[in-house]
Amino acid sequence: MSFEIPDELGYLTTHEWARRENGTVRVGVSDFAQDELGDVVFVEFPETGEELTREAEFGVVESIKAVSDLYTPVSGTVADTNDALLDVPELVNDDPYGEGWMIEVEPADESEFEDLLSAEEYREQIE
Amino acid sequence: MIYDQARWTRGASEKRDGNGDESEGESEEGGEGHGKGSVYEPLLAEKRSREVGVASSLPDDLTRDSLELPALAEPELARHYTRLSQTNYGVETGPFPLGSCTMKYNPAFTEDLAALPDAAIHPERSAASTQGTLELRYRLQEYLARIGGMDSVTLQPPAGAAGEFTGILIARAYHEHRGERRAEVVVPESAHGTNFASAALAGYEVVELPAGEDGRVDLDALDAAVGAETAALMLTNPNTLGLFERDIEAIADVVHDAGGLLYYDGANLNALLGRARPGDMGFDVMHYNVHKTFATPHGGGGPGAGPVGVVDDLAPFLPTPQVRAVEQDRREPDGGADGSGTEGSAGSTRYERFAPAHSIGKVHGYAGNWPVLVKAYAYIARLGDAGLRDASAKAVLNANYLASRIDYEIPYGPFHHEFVASAGDRDAADVARRMLDHGVHPPTTKWPEAVPEALMTEPTEVESRATLDQLAAAFDRVAAEDDAVLDAAPERTSAARIDQTDAARNPRLSWHALDE
Amino acid sequence: MSGNGRETTTHSHSSGGDRGRDGEHGSPFAPHTPDETAAMLDAIGVEAQEELFDIPEAVAFERSLGIEPRSEREIGREVRGMLGRNDELVEFLGRGHYDAYVPALVDHLADRSEFLSSYTQYQPEVTQGFLQALFEYQSMLVELTGLAVANCSMYDAATALGEAATLARRVRETSGHRVLVPELLHGGRRAVLENYIAGTDAAVETYRHDDGNADLAALESQLDDDAVLVYAENPTVRGTIEEELAEIGALAGEHDALFCLGSDPVALSILAEPASVGADVAVGEASSLGLGASGGMGLGLLATREEYLRQVPGRLVGAGTDAAGRRAYTLTLQTREQHIRRERATSNICTNQAWLALRAAIHAAWLGPEGLCALAERCVTRPRDLAERLNTIEGCAAPVHDRHHFREFLVRTDRPAADVAADLEARGFAIHAVDETLVQVCITEANAAHVDDLAAAFEVVA
Repeated sequence: MSFEIPDELGYLTTHEWARRENGTVRVGVSDFAQDELGDVVFVEFPETGEELTREAEFGVVESIKAVSDLYTPVSGTVADTNDALLDVPELVNDDPYGEGWMIEVEPADESEFEDLLSAEEYREQIE
Repeated sequence: MIYDQARWTRGASEKRDGNGDESEGESEEGGEGHGKGSVYEPLLAEKRSREVGVASSLPDDLTRDSLELPALAEPELARHYTRLSQTNYGVETGPFPLGSCTMKYNPAFTEDLAALPDAAIHPERSAASTQGTLELRYRLQEYLARIGGMDSVTLQPPAGAAGEFTGILIARAYHEHRGERRAEVVVPESAHGTNFASAALAGYEVVELPAGEDGRVDLDALDAAVGAETAALMLTNPNTLGLFERDIEAIADVVHDAGGLLYYDGANLNALLGRARPGDMGFDVMHYNVHKTFATPHGGGGPGAGPVGVVDDLAPFLPTPQVRAVEQDRREPDGGADGSGTEGSAGSTRYERFAPAHSIGKVHGYAGNWPVLVKAYAYIARLGDAGLRDASAKAVLNANYLASRIDYEIPYGPFHHEFVASAGDRDAADVARRMLDHGVHPPTTKWPEAVPEALMTEPTEVESRATLDQLAAAFDRVAAEDDAVLDAAPERTSAARIDQTDAARNPRLSWHALDE
Repeated sequence: MSGNGRETTTHSHSSGGDRGRDGEHGSPFAPHTPDETAAMLDAIGVEAQEELFDIPEAVAFERSLGIEPRSEREIGREVRGMLGRNDELVEFLGRGHYDAYVPALVDHLADRSEFLSSYTQYQPEVTQGFLQALFEYQSMLVELTGLAVANCSMYDAATALGEAATLARRVRETSGHRVLVPELLHGGRRAVLENYIAGTDAAVETYRHDDGNADLAALESQLDDDAVLVYAENPTVRGTIEEELAEIGALAGEHDALFCLGSDPVALSILAEPASVGADVAVGEASSLGLGASGGMGLGLLATREEYLRQVPGRLVGAGTDAAGRRAYTLTLQTREQHIRRERATSNICTNQAWLALRAAIHAAWLGPEGLCALAERCVTRPRDLAERLNTIEGCAAPVHDRHHFREFLVRTDRPAADVAADLEARGFAIHAVDETLVQVCITEANAAHVDDLAAAFEVVA
């Protein structure tokens, strides 16, 4: 089974992705992660304005068979959260890189993005 | 063998107006009342519910305004719960080979003894007025101590997990009493989930111990995991693959040399009754699952009891109170070492409660699940030495016989009272669900993870050869069936496959939430 | 007496546990005939049962445990004889464990083996009946507490309180260390709570009472932002009804502490709903329904607000649908639990008190709303009447607290309380001696017929 791993994103070994968009960084979990989890039933994330530190936990994603912590790809302030997931958590399964995004971070240090795994590096890790 | 658990269901409209008007056109099976929204048995509140205003002699500001609850007559209730029971599978319904759960037949006579009027006492009665209760508790402590090779036993923990928690609190108190603070409890990766959770509840970091290739504890990995921070190693033996930890003495040495304690999870004790004892293997503290090993009923989830046994060094830390015998007049020890004689014993031995010197305090508000303990005592007395040895022999014989009859890979052995087969490239849960259609309860699935798509099977000693053959046939027929059949299973049970995802995404946890 | 299992006498048996060996029998609950055993061994390819065991010789146990097997009849006689040594006392005992009158229907239905001998409902397709019964139990607790989520049992009130404290630690936004409990708290509950938070840096502290109710001023002075949980009981362990619960809830709320209220389903059927006084969690002893005096066995009640759903300890039954579109029940949100989440689970509980939850639900349904309210009202009037009566006896003052009472109340005795209790015991009555001058009397359906006799005995011994 092959997983979609968009080239333009940065990844953590813990399967979160990060995408730069107009000064903020959008965060979600990878196609591989949603497949491993199975049907997502619940997502919990911080409130807007909260300060996050790189690689610290920012929330949890829960499926029928597991609960996983979510880790922050880049330090910064939570600028927005995808509240649609509260009612429709299956968006994480259906569209992990699109409508299934989780939070948007205003990065404290843009250069941190460079420390993330590239798509290629991430693909190697999960294969 | 075919099996059909649900005999009829009612349409959704029927339950509302009671006139049996079947308007459910989308009924998928074509049968009356089997369609969408139908129920096997309406909820109590759907049958008849009434809201009453609370009229009390208390001032209004201390009372609630109203209460709405089901309001049914006794015959209606009798039928409601009887119908519910008919959709429930128990040990007396058929074979129940749930690995790690030891679903034995629950002897009928033990129920009668637990229900004796003389057993129905308040826990805060004086010791002097409850000598019978204390004597039975004392004798059960003794029996369990002998069976486990332990020196002292507490009967207070109300379940196995509570026993684990108790044991780890005892270990912690022991280390602290010696001026040591240790931060870690080591648990094999294949252990029962409760081991991890109980250690964490007691404030410990859990260090996971990977298994060796043979499915047993790897001594090198153990050496690496155990150290000055190790408060205890929690182990079950035979382990969750049914394998005896052959290196148990070396394991004990590693843990003891590091100053740690060895904890025995009694979930698998049924394999060893009268043949090997945790105390003799070097374990310092253990719990017993009386609702597994000693045949007290699981009651659909409980009550159980999780007595804890310890070696002498740990006895001062046991929960309070303990029960001890005080010889008043040493003419003749009554009843002999087996404690079977009662008549004439009154007056010569008194039983009293006491607080161990450095007790950890309490793990249950009173003295645990007393009626369950009465049943366990009666069961052990019924079996005696020979019966206990025979129970483990037949439990192991049954597991091995069943394993020899099924066409599944069983990667690890030699196993004892349970084996873990692999469903191979099939989903073990699908296999299990299809087994239901063949009239048997399936094994535990997907655990331990050392075996892919695990089918953890423990027939226990209560199954006959014929029943084991029936179980084997169910295993093998499912193996021969198409994926599509498995995907659609079960079809002969009162409920078909349940949408777990929807249930978790939209939790409806009371009848109040059904309309939301 | 030897407590040492290692010193049991050695008189070795010959190998195996085969039926009929040495005139003894194997397990009466193993159906194997010798022929079947032989055939099974043959099928496996071994000659003796012993070959199936992989136990190193060094740790094999070859001796006798010294437990003589007995017949069913012998054990019946033995246990009856033994328990017959319990004195026949009329118990006026309570303080958290009550002798409810349980209608016969409860025993007859709950004893059906499909319920009694079933396992936890991990295979929901063949356990719909028990799941529905537990769902109904949860629903009744939701009605009684006004809180949206009730689990399908903890071990008892004491462990439910312990679990509430760990829940409070998990859900509170900021860390807190202090768990405030009433001075009037059953010692067993307090001790269990201490152990449940022993793995954390939290600590239990007490707040004073004022004539059998929480002392609000004292509580307020003790509250700060480090308080994580405030616990109160209604009724209290002394049977007094708290009159300012909403104020306690408000005080807790002001400091961002959770408010946990302890009660039981009989009391809750007429007393203020926990939700209406601001409780975030309700705990207590649900065995006040469905269970008579049973040596302390309990049924822990735990209910909480919907927002804490994912932090609830223990099992939850939810309603859903099956593949045919029918309503079906299942254990749900299991990722909270130990078998999935292991050391990060919301609790270590696995086996619970499910069968007692079934009994409590049957009992509640048997009573119906009118019956339950009437039973509760008798729990108010009976102690009132008896206290009034005992108060007329020389040497007795009752009730000690100028409060409303539920089921039980205190009596101050001129004579030492222990002596009064002992003298009553000699006359066939069990009551609590609470301290040097206080005794406690509890009246339920089970002992109400003996109230005249108790009063007469008080006349003599007080």
